[in-house]
Amino acid sequence: MKRNFKLLVFILLLASMLLTSCAQPTQAPVEEPAAEEPAAATGECKDEDRVPIAWSTIEGFYTIAMTELVADFEATHCVKVQVVGIDNSQLYDKQVIEMVGKTGAYDVVNLETAEKAEFAENGFILPFDDYIKAHPEVDYADVAPILADMTTQYKGKIWGLPYYTYTAGYFGRCDLFEDPTEQAAFKEKYGYDLAIPTTWQQHRDISEFFTRKTGDMLKGEPLTKDFYGTGLQAGRFQEIQDELSAFLWSYGGDWLKDDGTVDVENITKALKWYIDLLPFAPPNALTVNYNGVMDSMQDGQIAQTVGFFLDQWPNAVNTEKTVPGAKMCNAEAPENKAYIGGFLMAVSAASKHPNEAMDFVAYISGKEAQSKFSLMGGTTTRMSILTDPEITSEANRTKTGHFATLVKVFESMKDTRSNLFYTPFGAKIYNTLGPTLQAAAAGEKTAEQAVLDLAVEVEKICDGPCPINK
Amino acid sequence: MPSTSMSAPQDSRAEPKKQRRAMSDTWFSVLLILPAMIIIAFFALYPLFYAINVSFRLADLTHGGIQGFVGLENYRTVLFDKFFWQSVGTTLFFTVFAVAIEVILGIFVAFLINGATVAKGLIRSLLILPLATAPAVTGLFWRYLYDTQFGLYNYFLKLAGLPQPNWLGDIDVALWAVIIFDVWLWMPFVALIVLAGLQALPKEPFEAAELDGAPYFRVLRKLTFPMLKPVLFLVIVLRTIDALRLYDAVAVLTRGGPGSTTETMTYYLYRQGLVFFRMDYASTMALLFLYAVVVAALFALRPLLNMFSARAGAR
Repeated sequence: MKRNFKLLVFILLLASMLLTSCAQPTQAPVEEPAAEEPAAATGECKDEDRVPIAWSTIEGFYTIAMTELVADFEATHCVKVQVVGIDNSQLYDKQVIEMVGKTGAYDVVNLETAEKAEFAENGFILPFDDYIKAHPEVDYADVAPILADMTTQYKGKIWGLPYYTYTAGYFGRCDLFEDPTEQAAFKEKYGYDLAIPTTWQQHRDISEFFTRKTGDMLKGEPLTKDFYGTGLQAGRFQEIQDELSAFLWSYGGDWLKDDGTVDVENITKALKWYIDLLPFAPPNALTVNYNGVMDSMQDGQIAQTVGFFLDQWPNAVNTEKTVPGAKMCNAEAPENKAYIGGFLMAVSAASKHPNEAMDFVAYISGKEAQSKFSLMGGTTTRMSILTDPEITSEANRTKTGHFATLVKVFESMKDTRSNLFYTPFGAKIYNTLGPTLQAAAAGEKTAEQAVLDLAVEVEKICDGPCPINK
Repeated sequence: MPSTSMSAPQDSRAEPKKQRRAMSDTWFSVLLILPAMIIIAFFALYPLFYAINVSFRLADLTHGGIQGFVGLENYRTVLFDKFFWQSVGTTLFFTVFAVAIEVILGIFVAFLINGATVAKGLIRSLLILPLATAPAVTGLFWRYLYDTQFGLYNYFLKLAGLPQPNWLGDIDVALWAVIIFDVWLWMPFVALIVLAGLQALPKEPFEAAELDGAPYFRVLRKLTFPMLKPVLFLVIVLRTIDALRLYDAVAVLTRGGPGSTTETMTYYLYRQGLVFFRMDYASTMALLFLYAVVVAALFALRPLLNMFSARAGAR
């Protein structure tokens, strides 16, 4: 019995090893699927004839708002779209797994700016150039140029279309800035007028000025809870990197230098400035991302943000309802430098229906859908909508009140091209930045040590200096 | 009779055939366990050997996929990775303190319930509640309880005039916050197992001790705990193995932060494998982890198995 059992185990082990060696997945270049006939117009379309396509995207507002737009698309195309809502923290992982396995589970994927180059380089997604040429109605030139470049282009090709931007700016409590008591006290302490900050020093002064304890006065009233000068997204998320980008780019630095190495000097400088702001932020700053900052804002606990995602304006302006007397305003971030980013919709190379998938991408990022999306509270990348007087009218302030600022940000940032977005290792570096930088913010390491660790990690990821393909 | 005499030659011819067809006990038992073995081979052995294979290769899924053999390079990289060792340290710290507190509190609660005269069933049912929910769900709930501004814990601490820690944001407190959550989640499990052990103890030795007038703590030391030893041993081993695998509480409560103070081995492994897609490092770490757990479990379980064998022999 013992001998037979040993034999059986041996056979099983042998079989497992053989299976293992047989199943080595290798990454052969992805071939573009053969073009198919476009799905029939919906008039002659039965439900069973509909071409199924799946879109992996971020769970939450982004997905909910899309439901109506997807229905509009299905009404004019013989296609059935399955919107797969995935938590933002899991989206990249799940998409990569499906792309590596070439499962075709997602026809359309949703990519963060730093992920584009990796997906393009690996042949995970299909180029969009031919489609744009064949479909002038896409009007690619209407996409804000800086966003078109940073979120869609890599190695001279276009890899999809952006449908949403989370480019950063500044939110502040203008009711505080306009209060005569606060204005006088600020001028007395700092020697200049209290106003929306245009430099990081002014931002720091305002942060310090408004940080107060329970019982202190604010706008002539005693505070019932602690109040803080600024909100910060210093949790162990990627957002800490987005926030720090504003400081870093203001100093003329970048996450990667042109030689592909980490810009240790400027990142250290930016990180130190950021750490010095932490005493003026709520204690939960070390555990939150943008949701936490918006919660603090709407709870009347903070006076302003730093470089913060402007797409959150509909949430920020809600403070006017939740905090009596609050008046919200938005502006460009100090020094006119802020994070630029957007969600790219790209078509998977493993898609069984790439033509329909491209039609869908073109529709969702197109003018008609984007106009509707904007009025629902989405933040478009199309200049014609960002500057449309009707859409940006006062009546739509709670949804589109940040559009004018966005246009200014795009203009101010038009010459910025972060190397991070043009290296095929961008996604991995982006995922490394959050934990490494946060270690310094949390006090586990000094800024210098954290950035040196970052440099080592990035070198390990890229196996030397990172290649940059602008 | 004639029919018997007629059939006899046929029977004698059939007998050797039957013998040839008959399966030995050995092969019959192999046949019986074969389905289970196939399932184990497919779901456990195949992935295990696949991981072993990958651990000797260069395997970056987003840059070239699984490539050629690199010998022991991945093992060298992992063993010289300071963040790996940091995560090992965090895991051990968590395991030692979480399991110790769970066991001590669990025993205490089990004794309390065992001595209770009313509502025993209700208390047992309430104890099961934390175990009945997914840690990912309760973890989210606890995340809000721990919040410095909106959380209930700091609200009550403030009311009591006590300092309000930054539970999940302070590098000196965050790991303890995870331990407290784990204790809340798993202490009832320990209590229930110990309670079952207590209720299964024979009454006679305790009655004899009572008649002899033995003091309570002497009874505990000389009778209760020695008789509970197998149960306690088992629960400690089970909790230790589970604590070493800690992932969900960290993922939901702290994501390994602040800094890397709560980054356990499994969370670090997850980041290497499913965020950086370095399957070579992740497989290597997983194998080292598996090896450590198996060796530790074998050493830990051996006395228990010996104890059971000795008891079986005595009977």
